[in-house]
Amino acid sequence: MIEPYNKLVKLAARAFYDDLTSKGDNQLKTGRSDNRGIAVVVLDALTRRQWVREEDLAKDLKLHTKQLRRTLRFFEEEKIITRDHRRETAKGAKIYSAAVAATADGHQAAKEGEEKVKLHTHSYCCLDYAQIYDVIRYRLHRMKHKLKDELENKNTLQEYICPNCGKRYNALDALRLVSFEDEDFHCESCDGKLEVEIDKIAAQDGGDGDDNARRRRREKLKDMLQKMEAQLKPLMDQLSRVKDLPVPEFGNLQAWEARASAAVRAAGGDINAGDSKMSQLGYNGVPLPYRGDTKVVVDFNNTEGEGEGFKSETDSTTLKVLPPWMITSGMNLTKEQRGEVKEETKLDGTSTSTATQDTDDKKSTIAHAHNKNIQDEYIKAYYAALLKQQHEMEEATKNQLSNALVAANPSSNTSNRQVGNKSKREEDDDGTEWEEAPIAGNGNEGYKVGDLNVEAEKVPADDEDDDVDWEEG
Amino acid sequence: MFFHIVLERNMQLHPRYFGRNLRDNLVSKLMKDVEGTCSGRHGFVVAVTGIENIGKGLIRDGTGFVTFPVKYQCVVFRPFKGEILEAVVTMVNKMGFFAEAGPVQIFVSNHLIPDDMEFQSGDMPNYTTSDGSVKIQKDSEVRLKIIGTRVDATEIFCIGTIKDDFLGVINDPATV
Ligand SMILES: [Zn+2]
Repeated sequence: MIEPYNKLVKLAARAFYDDLTSKGDNQLKTGRSDNRGIAVVVLDALTRRQWVREEDLAKDLKLHTKQLRRTLRFFEEEKIITRDHRRETAKGAKIYSAAVAATADGHQAAKEGEEKVKLHTHSYCCLDYAQIYDVIRYRLHRMKHKLKDELENKNTLQEYICPNCGKRYNALDALRLVSFEDEDFHCESCDGKLEVEIDKIAAQDGGDGDDNARRRRREKLKDMLQKMEAQLKPLMDQLSRVKDLPVPEFGNLQAWEARASAAVRAAGGDINAGDSKMSQLGYNGVPLPYRGDTKVVVDFNNTEGEGEGFKSETDSTTLKVLPPWMITSGMNLTKEQRGEVKEETKLDGTSTSTATQDTDDKKSTIAHAHNKNIQDEYIKAYYAALLKQQHEMEEATKNQLSNALVAANPSSNTSNRQVGNKSKREEDDDGTEWEEAPIAGNGNEGYKVGDLNVEAEKVPADDEDDDVDWEEG
Repeated sequence: MFFHIVLERNMQLHPRYFGRNLRDNLVSKLMKDVEGTCSGRHGFVVAVTGIENIGKGLIRDGTGFVTFPVKYQCVVFRPFKGEILEAVVTMVNKMGFFAEAGPVQIFVSNHLIPDDMEFQSGDMPNYTTSDGSVKIQKDSEVRLKIIGTRVDATEIFCIGTIKDDFLGVINDPATV
C-alpha cells in the first residue's frame, strides 16, 4: 500500500529538492562542504522508516545531527514531514542505547544509573504522506499557473495607443482617459479615440530591441512550460496513480509507538529476533516496566490464540521468520506490515459500522474527555495486534478485501469460533476510531464487551503505572 | 490592506481658536484636514483614532498663526499588488470596467475579464457570459485581484483582474 507513495516521495525529492543545500547560498562551496543531494538521501531514508528518532537517523546516514536537523527543519517547513519533540526518561534512552550499543551525544548520562530521572529531549520525525500528496500537487499547480500567466500576459498592463499622435497609455492611466460622452478612452493631447494594442509581439516581428526581448522571453516561457511537462511527467503519473489509494498514516508519535510496541509484544517474547527495526520501535521511548508487564499480555495472547486454534502459534512465528509477503518488500516490511494492519482495521470498521453505531455514539462523547489517553491507546494497539494476528492466521496472504468480507458476515464465524469473532468486533470499533486519529476512550468499552475482562483489566493497570513513570521520568 | 499607524502633521491654527478649547479645536481641525486624504506613501487616511501628543506651538512671524506639531494615530488603507479586494462596479465600457473599494479606484481592462464574458452596450452596458448567467454591470459587486498600482504623491490608482480562480461577480444586483 505504501510503495506507490514512497515512489512519489522519491520522485518529488529528486525533482524539487535535489539541489537543496542546507547552508546559506552566499557561502562558498568547496568540495567538502557541498552537501547537495542530502535532502534526497534523507527523504529516501525516511521512506524506509516510519517514526524515527532523529539521532538514530543521523547515525544511520552517517550525518551530523545538526546537519540532519537543518534538513529536517526545512522539510518540516515544507510540510513534508511531521516532527515530535519529547522529553523522555533516561531509562528509555538507556534501553535504546543499549540496543544500539553506542554512546552518543546525550545518552551517556542515561547509561549510568537506571534510577536517574533525568530528562532528555528527543526529536522524532516521520513522513506525512497525506500532506506530501497535497504539497506536490499544489507545487505543480503553482508552477504551471505562474508560467501560463506570464505566457498569456495575464498580469501585464493593457496598453493603448492614439492613432492620431501616436501617444501611448496604459491601463493605469485609465481614469484620466475616460470620457463621459462615449465609452471610449480619449487621448489627452488630441482627444483621439485610443486603440487597444493587441498582441504587439505577434504583430511586429522585427520590432525594436524591447520587443525582441519580450519575444525571446515568451519563447523561453513556452520552452520552460514544455520542459516542465516532459520532465515532471513521471511525477504527475505517480500522483495520478496514487490518487485513489488510501494514504498511509502512522498517526502521531504516541499512537504509533503504542501500536508498534503492541505489535512487538504480539510477535512473542523474543523481540530481538526477526526485524531489528521492529525491536527498536518496541524499545523506543517505552519505559522499562513495560517489558515486564508485557509478559502477562503475551501469555494472555498466546492462550487466547490457542483457544482459537493452533494457527495462531504458527502465525507468531511467521512474524519472526518473515513470511513471503514481508520479504518481497524488503526494507519496508515493517511499514507494509503495519500499513496492512491499518487497512484491515479501516475496512472492517466501515463494514461493521452499522452494527456498532450505538457504541460509537457513546464513544465519541467519552472520547472528548479522554483525549489522548495513553492507556486506551495501548489497549487499542494491543487489540490491533491481536486482530492482525487473527487475520494473518486466517488468510495470511490475502488482501484486505477478503478480510473485509470475513468481517462483514460475522454470522458465519460465530458458530465456529466465538472468541475470535468477538474480539474482532472490538477491533472494528477501534478501526473506526483510528481514522479519526487521536480519539480514545473506546478501549474501555471494548474490553467490557469482550470475554476477556480479567486480562484486559490488567493492561490498563499496567499502563497506569507506566504513565506515571513516564511523566516523572 | 488596513494599517493602524502614527503620523505627524504640522497644524497651523488661527489665533481666534486659542483659549480653553485649543486642544479640541486642534483635533477637530486635524480630522477635517486628514481624513479622506491620500498620500502615496501611507495610503488613504480612513480615520483618526487618537492623539499621541501635541508639541509646543511656534508663532509665525507676521501672521500670528501658530504651528503645532501633532502626532496622531490613524487607520490607513493602502492597496497592494496581489491583494484581493471586493469592490463595487461604478462604470462599464468596452475598454473594461471601473470599480471602487472604499476610496480606491480600480480599473479592470477587458483582457483581464474572463474570455467567455462579452461586452454588451446599451443603457446599462455590461459584460455577460454567453449563457447570461453572470453579468457585470454598474453596482455589481466583484472580487478582484490588484495587479498593479500607480502611486502618486496624493493619489493611488489600481488596475485589477478577475481572470483567476474565485474572482468575479460576488453579488449581482440584477438578481437580488
Ligand atoms: Zn493623441
